[in-house]
Parts: sequence; C-alpha cells; structure tokens
Amino acid sequence: MGGLASPILLYAACVIGALGIALALPRRGVSPQIIGALVAALGLGVLFVAMGVRSPGALPNVNFYIFSIVALGAAVRVISHPRPVYSALYFILTIIASSGLYVLLAAEFMAFALIIVYAGAILITYLFVLMLATESPTADQVEALNDYDRYAREPVLASITGFVLIAAMTAMMFGGVNSRSLPIVTTYAGAQRLELLPKKIESSLREARLIDKDESIARDPATGQYLIDLFPKPGTDAATHVPSVMIGYGDGRTRAIGPSTPGWPKDLVLSNVEGVGFTLLADHPGAIEIAGVVLLMAMLGATVLARKKVELDEREKLAAQTRSLAGEFEPEKSLLRAPEVAGGPTTRDAPTRSLGEAARGFLGAGGQR
Amino acid sequence: MSDLMSTLAQANFPSPMAPATLAHYLAVSGIMFGLGLIGFITRRNLIIMFLCTELMFQAAGIALIAFSRYHMNHTGETFVIFVLTIAAAEAALALALVVLLFRRKESLDAGRWSEMRG
Repeated sequence: MGGLASPILLYAACVIGALGIALALPRRGVSPQIIGALVAALGLGVLFVAMGVRSPGALPNVNFYIFSIVALGAAVRVISHPRPVYSALYFILTIIASSGLYVLLAAEFMAFALIIVYAGAILITYLFVLMLATESPTADQVEALNDYDRYAREPVLASITGFVLIAAMTAMMFGGVNSRSLPIVTTYAGAQRLELLPKKIESSLREARLIDKDESIARDPATGQYLIDLFPKPGTDAATHVPSVMIGYGDGRTRAIGPSTPGWPKDLVLSNVEGVGFTLLADHPGAIEIAGVVLLMAMLGATVLARKKVELDEREKLAAQTRSLAGEFEPEKSLLRAPEVAGGPTTRDAPTRSLGEAARGFLGAGGQR
Repeated sequence: MSDLMSTLAQANFPSPMAPATLAHYLAVSGIMFGLGLIGFITRRNLIIMFLCTELMFQAAGIALIAFSRYHMNHTGETFVIFVLTIAAAEAALALALVVLLFRRKESLDAGRWSEMRG
C-alpha cells in the first residue's frame, strides 16, 4: 500500500484551505469572513476525506475528528477575529480541544497539565495584558476597533506562504511516514520501572486480597531490597523468566505470587503520570536544570523590565508637556515649584496660575485638548 | 465511566476507531502550525502575534505527543513539559515587553515599531 492520501487530493485540499484562510482574514472594505471560513472548512473536509479514502477500517475515529475540527476551527478564529479578547478566548478553545487529542493519545497527565498551565495561567496573563494595554476609548467612539486589529497585513501572500509550508509538511503522508495505525500495546517503554514502586504493588495486591493483614512484601535479609521480580533482568533469559513477588510473614516464612495467580490485579501497571515522572527525572535530569534556569531568567527579566522607568518618545514627551501645561496643572507640582518662584506662602498661587494662563494664551487653540 | 475512560485513554482503542494513524495527528499538527504562522505574519497587533506563537507551540506539542504514542515511550510527553515551560517564560517576558512598548507609544501596532533601533 502506498501513502495514506492521494497527492492530488492533498494539494487540492491545501489550495482550497489557502483560499478560505485568505478570505477569512479581516481586510479593508467588505470582508467575506463567513464565506472564507466555509471554504476553509471545505478544504479541511477534503483533506480528511482524502486521508480516509484509503484507510482500511469502516468507521473512522469519531473522537479524533471532533477534537481536531474544533481545534482547527478555533485556531482559524484566533487568527481571524478582529477583537483580541475573543482571539484569546478562542485560543482557550483550541487548548481544550487539543488536550482532548492528548487524551486520545493516552497522555492523560499532559492533557490536564495543558489545561491547567495554558488555559489557567498563560491565557490569564494574556487577558491581563490585553486589559492593561488597551487604548482608552474616546467619548465619540466607544466601541471602535483599532485599525491594526481590523485589517490584516498581506492576507493573500501570507496564506500562500503558510499553505505551501503545510503542503510540504503533509507531503510525508504519501512518502516518509507510513500509514500504520498507532500500535495497540498496553506497555510503554520503561514499564519495568514498576518494580521501583513497592508501595504501589503492595497496596494494589492488598486491595486484590492477595496479601493478608499481617503480611507484606518480603525484603532480602542481606541487602534490604524488596524481593520483586516481575520483569526479566537484562542478561537473563526472558523465555524462562517467571515473574513473581515474594510475600513474607513476620516470622521469616515467604511465599511467591505472580501474574499467574488467580485474582492478580489487571491494572497493576505503570500509570501515565508515573511513567512521565520516571522519564523526566531518571532519563532527562539535565533538561530539568535547563528549564529551571530558563524560568529563573524569565522571572529576573520580567522583574527588570517591569521596574524600568519608561522614557517617552521625544514627540510624545512634548505632547505630554503641552497637555500638562495647557490643562489644569497638578497640585503637587505647583506646591513644589511655588516656594522657589515666589518665596512665600502668601503669593503661592498667583505665579503658577499666571503661568498656566500664559501657556494657554501662548499655545492658543492648538494646546487645548 | 472508568471503563470508558480507560478504553479511550489507554492504548486499546475500540476497533471501529482504530484507523486514526500517526499521519492524521501530524496533519492536524502541521495545519495548526501553518495557521499560527499565517496569523503571525498577517496580524498587526503585538499581543495577537504572540498568541500565534503559542498556537505554533501547541502544534509542536501535538506532534510530540503523537510521536511519543507512536514509539510507546514517554520522552515526547516530557518534552511537552518543556514546551510549556518555554511558553510560560515567553509569555511573561514578551508580555512585559509589550506593556513597555505600549506605554511608550500608546499603540499595539507592530508597524509603528518598524523603525526600532538599538
């Protein structure tokens, strides 16, 4: 069997998708966003049909299609919605749908971590900044959108660029990556690390009533190690290996039980969280250090940036000075300046007020806000 | 309920659902990355541009998890943790920068910063 999708259908889907995205992006004048979204959806449909035509099963994975359509639809809205707050909310929808994809891929821990970290923390930061950095609406146009939100920059060229990239990336579907289904196996690599969790094995066996109240997993009297031998050790013959757990009474007698014992708990395997934890801490300890340094630097950098006093542009500074001169002067400034100018409390108000009057007269109508 | 969860979550897909292959997930990942790229190029609002980079991070995460499932080890999943770390660091720093820039020019338009220099 060749690829999963015929190349012509794939490229057709990419062209239709590019057309749809180009139409869906906000633009000057009449913007056919809904038509664009429909065309993009059509492109996605063509792609999925193209990928489904040659797949051997009768019914495709419904959950996969639901989650991926929601994720990609929301992603289109993220890049095409003119209001930034709605874009951020649609991004949360993308996150939730892709965490559904993670669950389908048997990565439960990362699915929930994704929702907590992304939707819970990062997106809230974005929403805060959106609130902080919004231009205050003027009196006559309360709900106006900014120009830079309303019009996209080069939507056609950008769509062509993006979809050329997508076509190149998905070209592997009739080339490099084979179209095998994901392996239906219950054991991930590193499943033998279950032996490192004697407490988990003991409580699981106790729940299955394979261990009595006064028994526990036996330890080697010499080394103190737990006598758990569920997986063949490297260097021993795997074919003749008999998996067993030694159970000891208090007085030194032992008995062996194993997966062939009736009532052995079926769910006594390394769970996803335990597997991720072992991989993280045992296989990639250096990466954790790097991540720690990155987070520390980000924290320091954010602190330094936040403490920095903003120097306004020269033009902006001039405008601000003009405003403060022409408008009502600030009381603290006048209190500070008055003694130097006038030298006495009795004449404190007169010079500053006349300064304000003079500025207003000097600047004329242009200085008025 | 727990049966359903384990059917969905653990490796045993119900048989009619089996044909979602690695290529399907990679296609979703690639399309999402492309959408993020298009958004980064076209949108002119600084905050939305950074949101589009998060979209690209997300696409990379889906590809990592799909490969992790395909090879039946947890390495891809652990690296998604680092994607999250980098995304969080990037959000903190980039948004602090955006707020600084906004306080200078009272605008989020990326085009107004095109003449930025040292």
